[in-house]
Amino acid sequence: MIVSLAQIDFRPEFWLYPLTDQHMLMGTLTSVLVGMTCGVLGCFVVLRRMALIGDALSHAVLPGVVIAFLVTKDTGVVGLLFGALLAGLATAVLINLVSHHSRTKEDSAIGIVFTALFALGLVLISNLPRGTHFDLKCFIFGIPEAVGPSDLLLMAVISMIVLATVAMLYHPMKLITFDPVVAAAMGLPVLAFHYLLMGMISATVVAGLKTTGVVLVVAMVITPASAAYQLCNRFSSMLVLAGVFGGVSALVGMVLSYVFNMPSGPSMVLVATVIFGMAMLLSPKHGVVFRRIRRWRHRQHIEEEDVIKAINKLAADRIVAAPAAIAGQSRLAVERVTRVLRGLQRQRLIADSRDGVALTELGERRAIELVRAHRLWESYLADRANVPAADVHEQAEVLEHAHELADEVDETLGHPGVDPHGTPIPAQKQP
Amino acid sequence: MTTTRPQPGVVSPGAVGCPAIAVHNLTVSYSERPVLRSVTMEVERGQLVGIIGPNGAGKSTLLKAVLGLIDIDSGTARIYGEPINQARKRVAYVPQTSAVDWDFPVTVRDVVLMGRYGRLGWVRRPSRVDRTVARESLERVGVADFADRHIRQLSGGQQQRVFLARALCQQADVMLLDEPFAGVDAATERAIFELFQRLTAERCTLLVVNHDLGVLDKFDHLLLLNQRVIAYGPSHDVATEANIQRTYGGRLSLLDRAESALRGAT
Repeated sequence: MIVSLAQIDFRPEFWLYPLTDQHMLMGTLTSVLVGMTCGVLGCFVVLRRMALIGDALSHAVLPGVVIAFLVTKDTGVVGLLFGALLAGLATAVLINLVSHHSRTKEDSAIGIVFTALFALGLVLISNLPRGTHFDLKCFIFGIPEAVGPSDLLLMAVISMIVLATVAMLYHPMKLITFDPVVAAAMGLPVLAFHYLLMGMISATVVAGLKTTGVVLVVAMVITPASAAYQLCNRFSSMLVLAGVFGGVSALVGMVLSYVFNMPSGPSMVLVATVIFGMAMLLSPKHGVVFRRIRRWRHRQHIEEEDVIKAINKLAADRIVAAPAAIAGQSRLAVERVTRVLRGLQRQRLIADSRDGVALTELGERRAIELVRAHRLWESYLADRANVPAADVHEQAEVLEHAHELADEVDETLGHPGVDPHGTPIPAQKQP
Repeated sequence: MTTTRPQPGVVSPGAVGCPAIAVHNLTVSYSERPVLRSVTMEVERGQLVGIIGPNGAGKSTLLKAVLGLIDIDSGTARIYGEPINQARKRVAYVPQTSAVDWDFPVTVRDVVLMGRYGRLGWVRRPSRVDRTVARESLERVGVADFADRHIRQLSGGQQQRVFLARALCQQADVMLLDEPFAGVDAATERAIFELFQRLTAERCTLLVVNHDLGVLDKFDHLLLLNQRVIAYGPSHDVATEANIQRTYGGRLSLLDRAESALRGAT
């Protein structure tokens, strides 16, 4: 790990080394494929609330891998893959059995099954014959430097199969994920889909083990998909974006791990987490930042309208509309008023006049609109909501900002001429 | 809610003369606790049937059993004389909206188009015909203006309409609906009943689980259910004070007491 800036090498060829060196490139490409595939599959995991299953599958493949190793006597990828697939499906079946045939709820069933299988795997490893080498550390933490051509080929084949399957079965998979009960009622094979998904996740996890390891691979499944979930309103866009996030996390993680001499699996996971954090903050609909901005804009809008009303009232009372007077009228601080006035001037709602400001024609129209809304809402509150006449003003001060509803209020009340205080209500503005 | 309804699927010849829904001696239990006991009922084609009963009476379970979604202990449920697996294309199901994941990334149009997926099979994509049917279904329930909105951005009434539209989109001639009036305003309730009336006029059969006792007269037939069939028949015959009392009254019937005595419980 590098601590001081002076130690960092800024030459581009150094940063691009994970992409230019032939051996590093294999690790990088494999990681990117793992990231993409995990991201896409993760959408189903996240939407079906199966995050724990992802964790379970990644751990439970250990005994499968060890047994395959015992049977085939080598670390041939195809043998390992079949071992892992069998273990993955066994996990899914066992979880189903435990949760359906006992009081145990599904989350506990998952916890029982995968820890048991992982423990079994550890016991099997300790009983391996002398002289055989099984690298548990690689299984748990992943070593992308150890990725060879056969690993890359395997991952490429699995990615192709998974992505092609998702593209081909996109529609039924969407329905089964969204509404499994209705899907079953339509005759779609919901259970078969469940096992297909489990199988695809197991295969991806085992092929990706060398890059992130069993402990962190679940992050590659859940985190990019959760980031995409924050940003998307369509299932198809969520799948694509999650795949992109996964791939980018892997790529950037690999480069950073090389440049800063950090372990690569954790680097990828941290990059994915940063992407998730940014999505959480910046999501236009649910993001914290945009919500703040929206609230701030709303407050600003209300202040502007209050200032317009204040200027209008001062003009009616023939008082010079200086900031101090406006502040007194609108109950805003003087410095807020000056700032709001500048905004109103930009929108050409007010113009400078002798000693103060005056509403432009546009500003006057807005003022009348507000007064009309205020008085209509007062009438509505008194008439329809049984609010005592003395209290209607206070509540209408808030409601008047919903002036787009004024016409509807007018309609509902049958076009009243005066408000509860007997003041005339301005007529509807001419288009 | 205008425009004509798309033509229902082809009626298989063997179906002529059979009741649309036939439930015979149906018993269902969840972990050995009976939920439905010996339920028998037949629904003629083109009828609007309401299922009324207290919570836990087995109303939703009855729908799910007819749809073959849960294991049954004994008895049969048939659609036009056929087991459900042979009649899936003729049956549409509207689940309770409380069971829907409203944060799922889908638009209104996506949801309605899902009504076509049962016909598509595994790999086929929705065709132009499918999209047209989806649009017509949306127009029919009056939510076409919201087609591109996310489902979260709808009111309770609009949400129910969207899931009704999905069922319409299936072009089924038997529809099973679980509390389609939950969380809807009076205007939507009226609109939905009008739609039901128009559907039955087109010979579509509707079985509706309902909570509201204020609208019983709108159904042709009523099933008063509390684990057993308390009463079943034309609404004006069945919706009596005494029957409703028996359905909702907590008193154990002699049959229940006999059963617990036979099990050794006291």
